[in-house]
Amino acid sequence: MSETTNKRQSALERAGIPQPSFLKKNHYIGLVGIVLMYLLAGTFSSYSQTINMTIIYAIIGASLIVVFGLAGQLTLGHTIFVACGVFLSANITTAWGRGLETELPIAFAVAFVLGMIVGFPSLRVNELYLALATFAVAFVGVQILFEWKEFTGGGSGKGIGDLEFFGREFSRGPTLVRIGLVILLFSFWVVGNIQDGRTGRSMNALRTSETAARAAGIPVAWLKILCFGIGGGLAGWAGVLYIHTLRYGIPENFGVNLSIIVVLALIIGGKHRLMGAVLGAVFVRWLPEILRSVQEYEGVIYGGVLVILTLWSPDGLVGMFERLGGHIKRLAIDPLLSKNGEKAVSEQTNVVSPLSSNHLESFSSDQLRGALQIKNASVAFGGVKAVDDVSFEIPAGAVTGLIGSNGAGKTTLFNAVTGHVKGATGQFILDDQDLTGKPIHIRSLRGMGRTFQNLNLHDDLTVLEHALLGLDRNIKYNRVSESFRLPWVIREEKKAHFVAAEILEHMDLLEYWNDKVEDLPYGLQKRVDVVRALATNPSILLLDEPAAGLPTAEALEMMKKVKEFAQYTSAGVLIIEHNVELVADVSERVIVLDTGAILADGSPEEVMKDEQVIAAYLGT
Amino acid sequence: MTEYIQLAWQGLVSGFAYALIGLALVMVFKTARILNFAAGTMAGVTGFLAHWWAADQGMPFGVAIVFAMILTAAGTYVIERLTVRPLVKLGDFLPIVIMTLGIEVLLANVSLLWWGGTARRYRVPGDIDRINWIIGDFRLNAWHVVVAATTFVTLSIVGYIINQTELGLGMKAFAEDQDAAKLMGVKESTVSIYTWVLSALVGGVTGIVFAPVLFLQQDYMNIIFIKGFVAAILGGFLSLSGGVAGGLLLGELEAFTIKWAPREIAAALPVVIVFIILLIRPHGLFTRAKQHERV
Repeated sequence: MSETTNKRQSALERAGIPQPSFLKKNHYIGLVGIVLMYLLAGTFSSYSQTINMTIIYAIIGASLIVVFGLAGQLTLGHTIFVACGVFLSANITTAWGRGLETELPIAFAVAFVLGMIVGFPSLRVNELYLALATFAVAFVGVQILFEWKEFTGGGSGKGIGDLEFFGREFSRGPTLVRIGLVILLFSFWVVGNIQDGRTGRSMNALRTSETAARAAGIPVAWLKILCFGIGGGLAGWAGVLYIHTLRYGIPENFGVNLSIIVVLALIIGGKHRLMGAVLGAVFVRWLPEILRSVQEYEGVIYGGVLVILTLWSPDGLVGMFERLGGHIKRLAIDPLLSKNGEKAVSEQTNVVSPLSSNHLESFSSDQLRGALQIKNASVAFGGVKAVDDVSFEIPAGAVTGLIGSNGAGKTTLFNAVTGHVKGATGQFILDDQDLTGKPIHIRSLRGMGRTFQNLNLHDDLTVLEHALLGLDRNIKYNRVSESFRLPWVIREEKKAHFVAAEILEHMDLLEYWNDKVEDLPYGLQKRVDVVRALATNPSILLLDEPAAGLPTAEALEMMKKVKEFAQYTSAGVLIIEHNVELVADVSERVIVLDTGAILADGSPEEVMKDEQVIAAYLGT
Repeated sequence: MTEYIQLAWQGLVSGFAYALIGLALVMVFKTARILNFAAGTMAGVTGFLAHWWAADQGMPFGVAIVFAMILTAAGTYVIERLTVRPLVKLGDFLPIVIMTLGIEVLLANVSLLWWGGTARRYRVPGDIDRINWIIGDFRLNAWHVVVAATTFVTLSIVGYIINQTELGLGMKAFAEDQDAAKLMGVKESTVSIYTWVLSALVGGVTGIVFAPVLFLQQDYMNIIFIKGFVAAILGGFLSLSGGVAGGLLLGELEAFTIKWAPREIAAALPVVIVFIILLIRPHGLFTRAKQHERV
C-alpha cells in the first residue's frame, strides 16, 4: 500500500490548485500603493485633510465589507461606531491626556462590544428587519449622543487634545496621513486575512444560504454577532482618525445620512473587495473636490451614480473594472498566448483511488459509526401530523433507504432529525449522543451530515470552497490568529486544501474546482451538495432525494461513490428516494413511510413484495 | 382628565401619520417583497410640491393638490419601470433595497436644490391650521380634524381597493403566493405598478396633510418615515391593518412617554420598541408566525 500512496500525486497538485500562502498578488499591489502614499505624503501636504478623509472612508468601507460584503448583514447604523471612536478619542485626549496608544485599543474594544450588541437582533430577524433595526439605531444613537452632553458636548460638539503616541507629540498634516496609512494597512491586512480564511468562507456561506451553512456545522449565530463586532471595532478606529483630522466632533454629523453614505460608497466601489472600499472612498471624497464649482450637485451625483451602477454593475466599480479586464484578456491577450494552460487534470486520475491517499487518512475509521435511534418522532403543522410517532433504529454503518409517496413525511422526518424543523417532538440519539433539541450546527458537528432535496448551495462560492466549508471543523486555528495569518493558519489551510481536493476527486468534481456552483449543470450541483456533506465526515449521511432529476445511470454512479466513501469512513447512510430501483440497489434495508407512519420495514426484496406497499405505491 | 384626553388626541394625530406611512410601506412589501426606503422622501416631495404650488406659485390649493398627486403617480410609474422592474427579474432582495436608497438620496438632493435647506411654514387657505376650538380645557386644532378626516377617507379608499376590486384581489394573491398568482394569470408587473402608485399616493396624502403640522423642510418626512417603519414592524410588516394599528399605538406611546419620561428616553423610544419587538416577536404584534419554511 505504501508504495502506491507514495507514488500517487495529490489531487491538489494534479489539478493545479494554488496552495494557500502568506502573501498574494493583491497584497503586493496594496502594499506598494500604501508605501508610495506614505513617501509622497509630504509632497501633497496641502491635500492632507482630503487624503485623510479618504483613508477614513476606506477604513469604514473595509469594516463594512466584513458586515455587509461577507456576512451579508445590511447595516444602516454603522456611523454610530465611528461616533463611538470620535468621542472616546476626544475624551481620552482631553480628560485623561493620553495619546493614540490608549485611544486605539479603547475605541476598538468599546466599538467591538457595541457592535455585538447592535448585531444581536440579527439572530432573530431577516435582513429586511435588520436593515431597519440598524437604521433606527443610527437615528436614535445620534439623539442619545446629542443629549449626553458630558460625553459629546451636545450640540456644540467636542474638540480633540494633542496627537500623541506614548507621550511623543506629533504635528498633524502629513504625519497624520502617515499614521492614517498605518492604521489603514493594519485594517486591510486584518480584513483581507479574514476574507481568505475560514471565517470569511463561513460568512460567505451564511450570506448565501443560512440553512445550508448551519447544516455544514457553521456556527451562524456567533458569526453574525462577530461580524458586527469586527466591523464596529474597525469603524471605531476610523472615528479616532476622523476627530484627529477635523479636530472637532459634533454628534449630529453621525446620523442616518452618514450611515447611508458610507454604505453607498462601498456599494459604488464594490462590496466584495478591499479595492472596492478604496474606490468608493475615493469616489465619495474626491468627487466634491473635483467638482468644487458645482458642489451643490454632490448628492444628486451620488444618487444618480448609485442608481445607474445598481442597474448596470451590481458589484460596483471593482466589478466593472474586473469585467473590463476580463474582456481585454479574452479578446486581446488570450489569442496571443498559446492555450497550454488549459490542461488541468491528468489522465492518470483514476489509477489510484483518492481513498488510499494519505491526505484522507484521518477520515478512515475501523469503528462502525452512525447508529441512529429515532424514538417517537412527531411533527405537526397546524392540525396535520406530517410525522406521526415514528420510531426506528439504524445500526452503525448501515445503508438504509426511506421511501414513500409524496407527502408521506420523509423530508419532514429528516428535518426533525437534523433540527431543520421547529416543534418536532421525540428523541434522536446518534452513536449514544442524545441530540434532541440541539441546534442544527451542533447536530452537524456531532456527526449528522445531510443534503437537500431542493439544492441548497452557496452561489458565488466555488466547488472547492464548498468542500472546505464542510471541512471547517477540521481546521484548527482560532479567529484571532486568522486575522494575522500566523504560520499555523497557513499550515492548516494547506492541509484542508489537500483534503478537499481528494474528496473532489473522489466525487469526480476535481476539474470543476474553481467553478462557481451556479454555473454548473444540475447533476454536478447535486454532487457538490454531497461533497459538502461528505467533507464534514459525518457518522451518518442523510441524503434527501440525491437522484431526483438525474438519469438513473448517473445517479447509480454517484451513489456508488458515496457508498465507497461511507465504507471507508465506516459511516452509515440514510437515503430518501423515489427511484425504487436505486434504493433497492444500494440499501440493505428499506423503510416505507406512509402518511407520517411506518408502513413496512425490511430487506428490499421483502418490502417490494409487501402488499400494503404495492397498494400505497401503485394505488391498486 | 382633560390633560389625558389632550395627550391621547395628540398621540392619535401623530399616530395617523405613522399609520399612513406604515400602510404605504407594508403595501409594497406585502405584494412585491420590496422595502422602499424612498417612501418618506417621495411623500415629502409630494407635500412640498402641493404647498409650493399653492403658496409660491399662486395655484388654488385644491388644484395644487391634484397636480401634485398626478405628478407623484406619474413619477412613481417612471421610477418603478426604470429602476425597480429591471432588478425584480434578478430575484435578489438586496439590490432593490440599495436601489430605493439610491432613489432616496437622489430625490432628497434634487428637492434640496429646488427648495433649499431652510425650514418654512406654508399657509393653508383660510388659515385653518390657526383655528383652535377650546372645549373646557381641551384644545382642538381645526387642521388636526382635517388630518383625522383625511386619514379616515384614505384608509377607507385603500380598504375598498384592497377588498372590493380586482386589483386588490391581485395584490392579495401576490401577497399570499407569488408563483401561484402568476400561474393563475395575475400579471405581476401590472399588480406591482399599481401597488407602487397606490403606495406613493397614500404617502403623498400624508405629506400634504402633515406639512402644516410640521415645519416644511426638505427632509420633514424623514422622521415620520422612520416611525412609520416602526409602525409597520409593530404590525408585522405583512398586515395592512396591523401597520395602521401599529402606527396608532406608537403615536399614543410616544405622547404619553413625552409626558412622563425624560427627553433622552422619549427620543429613544422608537428604537427600544423595535429592539424589543424584534427580539420577542419577530413577526409583529398582530400576526401569527409562519408555521414553517420548507427546506
